[in-house]
Amino acid sequence: MTTDVNRTDGQMDELKSCEGSTPTKSHELQIKSVSKSNIKDGGGDADDFDAWIKSRQLLKPDDQLDLTEAELGEEITKVLTTTNTNVIQNLVVYSFKESAFVQVPVAGNTVTLMEMDGSALHIDSDEAKIQMEETGEIGYPLPTLTGSFIEVEEDRASRITKGPDEDEEGEEKAAAQAAKEGEDEVGEEELEGEEEEVVEEGAAEAEAAAVEDAGEAAGAPATAPATGGRKRKLLNQFNFCERSALTYTNPRRNVETQTIPPPRSQYGANVLQWNIYDSYADDFEQQQNERDKKDEKRGGHRKDVAKKKLDKAAEAELLNKKYLKAWQILERMINQNIYEEIANDYRYWEDPADEYREQEGTLLPLWKFNYDRIRKLSVTDLLFNPMYYDLFAVCYGSHEFMKQPNEGAICFFTVKNPSYPDYIISTESGVMCCDIHPTYPFLVAIGMYDGSVAVYNLREDFEKPLYLSVGVHNKHSECAWEIKWGPDMADGEINFYSVSTDGRVFNWVLMQNDFMITTITTLFLTNGIVEGPDGTEVHLRSCGSCMKFHPSNPEIYLIGTEEGLIYKCSIAYSSKYLMTYNAHHLTVYRIDFNRFNSNIFISCSGDWRVKVWEDMRPEPLFIFDLGSSVGDVKWAPFSSTVFAACTNEGKVFVFDLNVNKYKPICVQAVVPKRKNKLTRLAFNENLPFIIVGDDKSTVTSLKLSPNLRLMVKPPKKQQYLDQNTLQVQKLDKLLSLVRELPNDMVILEAPTTTKS
Amino acid sequence: MADEGANPEKEAEKKIVHTYPLVKHSDMNEEMRTEAIEMSITACEKYSSNYEQAARVIKETMDKKFGIYWHVVVGEGFGFEVSYETKNILYLFFGGNLAILLWKCS
Repeated sequence: MTTDVNRTDGQMDELKSCEGSTPTKSHELQIKSVSKSNIKDGGGDADDFDAWIKSRQLLKPDDQLDLTEAELGEEITKVLTTTNTNVIQNLVVYSFKESAFVQVPVAGNTVTLMEMDGSALHIDSDEAKIQMEETGEIGYPLPTLTGSFIEVEEDRASRITKGPDEDEEGEEKAAAQAAKEGEDEVGEEELEGEEEEVVEEGAAEAEAAAVEDAGEAAGAPATAPATGGRKRKLLNQFNFCERSALTYTNPRRNVETQTIPPPRSQYGANVLQWNIYDSYADDFEQQQNERDKKDEKRGGHRKDVAKKKLDKAAEAELLNKKYLKAWQILERMINQNIYEEIANDYRYWEDPADEYREQEGTLLPLWKFNYDRIRKLSVTDLLFNPMYYDLFAVCYGSHEFMKQPNEGAICFFTVKNPSYPDYIISTESGVMCCDIHPTYPFLVAIGMYDGSVAVYNLREDFEKPLYLSVGVHNKHSECAWEIKWGPDMADGEINFYSVSTDGRVFNWVLMQNDFMITTITTLFLTNGIVEGPDGTEVHLRSCGSCMKFHPSNPEIYLIGTEEGLIYKCSIAYSSKYLMTYNAHHLTVYRIDFNRFNSNIFISCSGDWRVKVWEDMRPEPLFIFDLGSSVGDVKWAPFSSTVFAACTNEGKVFVFDLNVNKYKPICVQAVVPKRKNKLTRLAFNENLPFIIVGDDKSTVTSLKLSPNLRLMVKPPKKQQYLDQNTLQVQKLDKLLSLVRELPNDMVILEAPTTTKS
Repeated sequence: MADEGANPEKEAEKKIVHTYPLVKHSDMNEEMRTEAIEMSITACEKYSSNYEQAARVIKETMDKKFGIYWHVVVGEGFGFEVSYETKNILYLFFGGNLAILLWKCS
């Protein structure tokens, strides 16, 4: 600041010298030019400058010297210097300090007329320009009550520049100088003002303004208000004011917490050599004990493992059983989805074409039942469960004498799950026949090709037989062809009968753990005594091939033989036949009693024939030739005149004697003729469908069309009669037509023959 | 006779000098205890003739590893009654004749 002030002082000096209006202080050059013009004027030169002067007459002062031309032309040289001759050079002043007169230094040539410092700066000055550039604003201050100091400055500058003989440079300099002066002065003023402000803490702004006004009134340039137009004010960097604020002080608080000291414990002991020794001894002993225990445990552990394994197996089995049911349901559901159409047909489809066909019907193939592991055995028996109408047993064996397999099986299928059997029982020999107990539908008796019989319980572990005939004497010596449960014994023992090729009929009673065997009869051939080589007699036996119990009299049964004979026997007499029918020329494969009239039975044979018999009548009532060996024949459960037969050619024949006495009303090839032979057949007890087994282990189910199961319409007058009576009547009516006896034949009355 | 024969065997068995570290008392957690035992054994084996040095080493190591103010006593015969920060004490025998006690108390 101070240096700057000095500098401005210097400038001021120069300015003063320039401004100087007294002729003594003017420059030499100026004087010269003035004198020149004077000379020219004096010379009377016709100049443009003088053109506007009217009078050319020179006015001469009275006291003007008359000079000669030479004198006038003489040049008088006069030198002007900057040294002021009027200044006293040797001024002395008494100095009390030195107690002597001291020469006062010579004053300069300058005379200070006025000196003023300012804090404002000129708007055109470099400093202002720089500030404007920096702030990016136009340096015009806000209009205020006191007016803009810069404007004032400008006024002042212009006032100054109005000096009569000053060039432009001078003007500018003067302006800047003045502005600076003004600034400095304002700075001083402000400083003063601020001092005042500091003194009077918190004084109103108005007061400050008043102070400024006062400053202005004192002749100083207007000062910018310290508060207003802050942004736009171009600041002289040496002019600053300090501003401060005090914020609200928050009250103080003290909060302290103290943590819980860590828990401490106490411990004490004495370390002595014998203590150490004892500790070691104890520890060693303990270790030894533990080692022994471990060894023991290891031994025991193995046992545990074995036990655990057993337990696990048992658990798994239990679990499996638990899941088995769920899985079975799932399997059934899946099958139901897969075979949905067949299932619908099975229950609901009725062949509409039957209405337009007279005396003819069709068989609709439904599911085929297979067990994958058995493909080459033939179906040797088919039987519906008496309790669950849709469950049936299929026996797998072989009729071939030469190619007997050493395995057999009995499977229980249900129509609800055609893809896989519900029960599978494997045997070591081909199963030839089976029977399900009527009151205990879980007991299954089977006869096998090797002559042994077995009883299985399906409710429990059905893979092992409940009873099995063991030993040489406890079984048939040849293939067991048919097996039938008999009515319970007097003391409630369950028993069954079996017939075999060895010509014997056994009764098997189920004891606690074993069978009790009784030979019911031995089928001796009449006139079958052959003389042996040494005069011995050999009693020839006929070979039983099928057996059927009388439906109403449990003592009476029919036996079919390989010789083609049918014996009517009674359990009561083992040595005598009640009746012998000379029925067929080849093996009788099946005998079946009519469901409605127990005097009527049917038989089929390998001699292609199916014959319908009446009790005690040696001649058949009907004979049908089916063109190939007939494997099975069964009466229908729903009609007294309908029966079905299957042949080796793969055909199923359905007869309704009421409709046609001579021809079948349906002949249908079920399996390919060349490849497959049909072996067995069974009617469902409740629904109009049959199952047919072939020699390739396949069971086919067939639905009977409406024409094959015509019911009897009750006559108008006898509407009250039920179907059963009507069926019986129908059969009787039919029989009466064919009963015309040959001449001189007398029907032997037997106790079982019921009068019709 | 049989007894006489058996006795010397027992005697011989008893004379076995056990040198494995035997923890007499400790409430440290497993990890800390294992480390402390290891370290104590190492120190005692290294400075088997200078128990003071061994104790110093153990103390310094424990201070570094488990925080400051551990106290260690190594010796063949002494009695003590200390209060310690729970879960921070180990009292073990080592080498058959040496007791090492370390506890923390800050």
